[in-house]
Amino acid sequence: MIEVKNLVKTFPAQGGFLKQGEVQAVKGVSFSIPASGAVTFIGESGCGKTTIGRILTGLESYDSGEILYNGMSLADLSPTERRDRLRKVQLIQQDPYAALNPSRTVAQSLTAPLAWEAKRQRRSKTWIEDRSREVLTQVGLNPDVVLPKYPHMLSGGQRQRVVVARALTVNPDVLVADEAVSMIDVSLRLGILHLLHRLCTEEGIAVLFITHDVAAARYVGSDGSLYVIYQGEIVEQGRTEELIQSPVHPYTQSLLSAVPVLRGLERPGEDRYIPRAEFTSGDSTACRFALRCRFSQERCRTEKPLVTTWGKDHHRHTCHFPAPRRVVAEPIENERL
Amino acid sequence: MAAITPDPPRHSVPGFGPRAAFWVTAWRIVKAKPSRLVGLGIIALFTWMGIFGPMLYPANLPIDPNAIYAAPSWHFWLGTDFEGTSNLALVVTGARYVLFAALMAAVFTVVIGTGVGLISGYYMGAADGILMRVTDFFLTIPGFPLLVVLSTVWNFGQPVAMGFVLGITGWGALARAVRSQTLSLRERGFIEAARGMGLPWYHIVFREILPNMGPYIAMNLLVSVTGAIYAEVGLFYLGVVPFHVNNWGVMLNLAVFTGGAMESPQALPYLLSPLAAILILTLGVVLFLDALDEIFNPRLREAS
Amino acid sequence: MRAIEPRGRTDASAIRIRDLTVLYHTERGMLPALKDVNLDVRSGIITGFIGESGSGKTTLAMAMMNTIRLPGRIQRGRVEVPNVGNVLEFQGERLRRLHGQMFGFVFQASSNSLNPLKRIGSQLLDLGRSHGLTNGRQILADAKALAHRMGMDADRVLTAYQHELSGGMRQRVGIIFALILRAQVLILDEPTTALDMLSQQAVLEIVREIHVEQGLTTVIITHDMGVVAEMAQRVAVLYAGRVVEEGPTPEVLREPRHPYTRGLLHAIPRITGSLEEAQPLSGSPPDLTTVPSQGCVFRDRCPLRMPVCDRVEPETRSAHGDGVVACHGVTADD
Repeated sequence: MIEVKNLVKTFPAQGGFLKQGEVQAVKGVSFSIPASGAVTFIGESGCGKTTIGRILTGLESYDSGEILYNGMSLADLSPTERRDRLRKVQLIQQDPYAALNPSRTVAQSLTAPLAWEAKRQRRSKTWIEDRSREVLTQVGLNPDVVLPKYPHMLSGGQRQRVVVARALTVNPDVLVADEAVSMIDVSLRLGILHLLHRLCTEEGIAVLFITHDVAAARYVGSDGSLYVIYQGEIVEQGRTEELIQSPVHPYTQSLLSAVPVLRGLERPGEDRYIPRAEFTSGDSTACRFALRCRFSQERCRTEKPLVTTWGKDHHRHTCHFPAPRRVVAEPIENERL
Repeated sequence: MAAITPDPPRHSVPGFGPRAAFWVTAWRIVKAKPSRLVGLGIIALFTWMGIFGPMLYPANLPIDPNAIYAAPSWHFWLGTDFEGTSNLALVVTGARYVLFAALMAAVFTVVIGTGVGLISGYYMGAADGILMRVTDFFLTIPGFPLLVVLSTVWNFGQPVAMGFVLGITGWGALARAVRSQTLSLRERGFIEAARGMGLPWYHIVFREILPNMGPYIAMNLLVSVTGAIYAEVGLFYLGVVPFHVNNWGVMLNLAVFTGGAMESPQALPYLLSPLAAILILTLGVVLFLDALDEIFNPRLREAS
Repeated sequence: MRAIEPRGRTDASAIRIRDLTVLYHTERGMLPALKDVNLDVRSGIITGFIGESGSGKTTLAMAMMNTIRLPGRIQRGRVEVPNVGNVLEFQGERLRRLHGQMFGFVFQASSNSLNPLKRIGSQLLDLGRSHGLTNGRQILADAKALAHRMGMDADRVLTAYQHELSGGMRQRVGIIFALILRAQVLILDEPTTALDMLSQQAVLEIVREIHVEQGLTTVIITHDMGVVAEMAQRVAVLYAGRVVEEGPTPEVLREPRHPYTRGLLHAIPRITGSLEEAQPLSGSPPDLTTVPSQGCVFRDRCPLRMPVCDRVEPETRSAHGDGVVACHGVTADD
């Protein structure tokens, strides 16, 4: 469905303590999103995962590389074709509070894209209303209750569902969910994750799930692929469930270590460790994670690691010294008081 | 735009036919505070005066040589002028020109200011650069002196002409403010989403961005009305604009320069009646302004 | 976490909250944001307040410090702090001084509580001065020590403006502000909400270490069971302004008694365990205006709903040894 090859994006650096010049946010990233597949990107804030999502939805340009939608390069399309193509890739934003226009009701928010669609397909006005109700039902909301409401009258979870419903009005092929649950109460997150999973498996909409919470990725698609992104590069990739259970790159391992342990129900993994140091910009001639890596050796600071496979072909990593470690918490079985 | 607003063929869900509900809630909000009702009442009274005032009196107001500069009495509520014409009649019939010109001025200000601000803020780049230079140019034109100069060559018998000139010199500040709000709104998530949906620019600008500035623009409209009234009355008072029709400014001018209201208390009612009219109208606008924020801001609207 | 608290029904050194009711003025009259809350915040340990948005967890912390502002109002209740007395009777200057010495509050989005136009260091000095600490050098030295302790470049942080700091660093700066006046009770409101996993863990680790080193009584307000599970020895579960369950964290997690706690636990996306076991909590969290005024506040989302729940608000019963639970559907365990 979507294939991305060697994507590069550079931003001009702004003030602050970033050095003058340019910041390379995405450094040659390649991946593919299969039709109705679930792909997850994980990484810290600032690793470039959001930029990739914005490029795919056409909200951001890219400097080099190739994006193929159904085998056709985005660069080869005419502006109109490109717009129609990009409409099929919808972004679900992180902040459901900003993603809905506060001065418009849910009905008005859904009507806008539908009216456009109706005009093109010469549909009637009742079609617009029927379709609004349909997409709201699809995301698990009661249209009669939600349609006349303004965004501020809805909970965070309901808002995010409305945002998904709005994206569904254009019959998308791909949903890019950028941290779609991180601003929602933990108690309501699972509902949204299940919704994305259902859209993927039942409606055949591919989902690119961008997150910093590895646990959430399992609920969107445990058999999909997982890409771990560090400073604009993919450092490890594999099948979601497999990668979570047996990561070999120290960065993936530290991300997995950071997932809170439910003490009493789980015991922390034996090799759990959390890097204390803040995000530091790495060197392009060495492993970018070397400065924060607990296991780094001389070679890590002098030689850039290449993409290597680990065991199966789909499990790849960029580490000089990959090693499986037990970092994920394990459930405590039957240890009752 | 018509394609985007669906007519409400079925009112099964309030969300699909929101216009009627808008007036109902607006009325409820105004009703909530007596001060707002008073404000609305005053504005309604003056609007009514502007529309029907001249019809209440004969085209040439009756004069009474026996009651020149009469004090307020049962017969002449607000006293009389130098010809013995009722001041009340003068205020009522004079309202049309003043109010119509002020309304036109406010409409020109708001339409041009909002339009320029929206386009400039949304498109940024070259369009923004050009529009903002134009705005700066208009901002630096001193409006009042320009009017004084223009009045020597232009006939201000038509209130539209007066309104146009007042409006064309007054939109700069609003355009700047609207532009900066647009700049911040266009970065918001819902605008990005609308762009991602491939919605046309006019939908994004007028349907997504504009409503969020509703309270601000509505307030500007009302405040511009009062501002325009001061400006035009000032012009007539100074006598730089030829008198074609009776209006409040003419009354002030005649009361001071002909009737000597500053020296003799005789002509004082003649001076004070148009002043009172202006003050009361301003008071009405100020009292009503408070309701506008709630009417146009859904968050406040539903909370009340 | 370390050993479970020794059991004991009374703890003389705890902050005792009794019958605390806080009302908020709304369009529909005065509505309770907290109702008859009874809770001991034990000294020397980390307590978690957990609940969804609008559950009253932040209000509880604010009321504990007597900092409820209009449109809210403390209607009744007591907050007894050992050696200090009832905090709710403090007012004006006395209350302000108490805040400095006693309570350190770290705001939800620390960036919002910092002045964007002033350097961190000068804001710290302002804070110290307003509490009568004139020795600026001492304050800065303390701040540097704390910053260093938290793994930050102390000189850079103190001379920075808030926008120059990352989310995790702002949160740490918030902790410096809370502790610079040597507070004994540290309250963190959603300390990790805006942070990604690694920064979250780093901040939590720091809080845990500082808590031990400075012998603090710490309260963490959060909607994330994971944070509570990692950090807190005891947890109080809040729902619609009521404490519905309270007890030692491991026991509450292992054997949640209240159906709401159970629901919360099942709703956590987890990295282990079966995917099918996870169930989202049904319904939406209530806000002030939708909380039923009679009967159990949770009944609309409750799988154990019984006729009695519509009429009678459940009493708190003892559970988890020295904890409590408030539900008609569970029996007291002693």
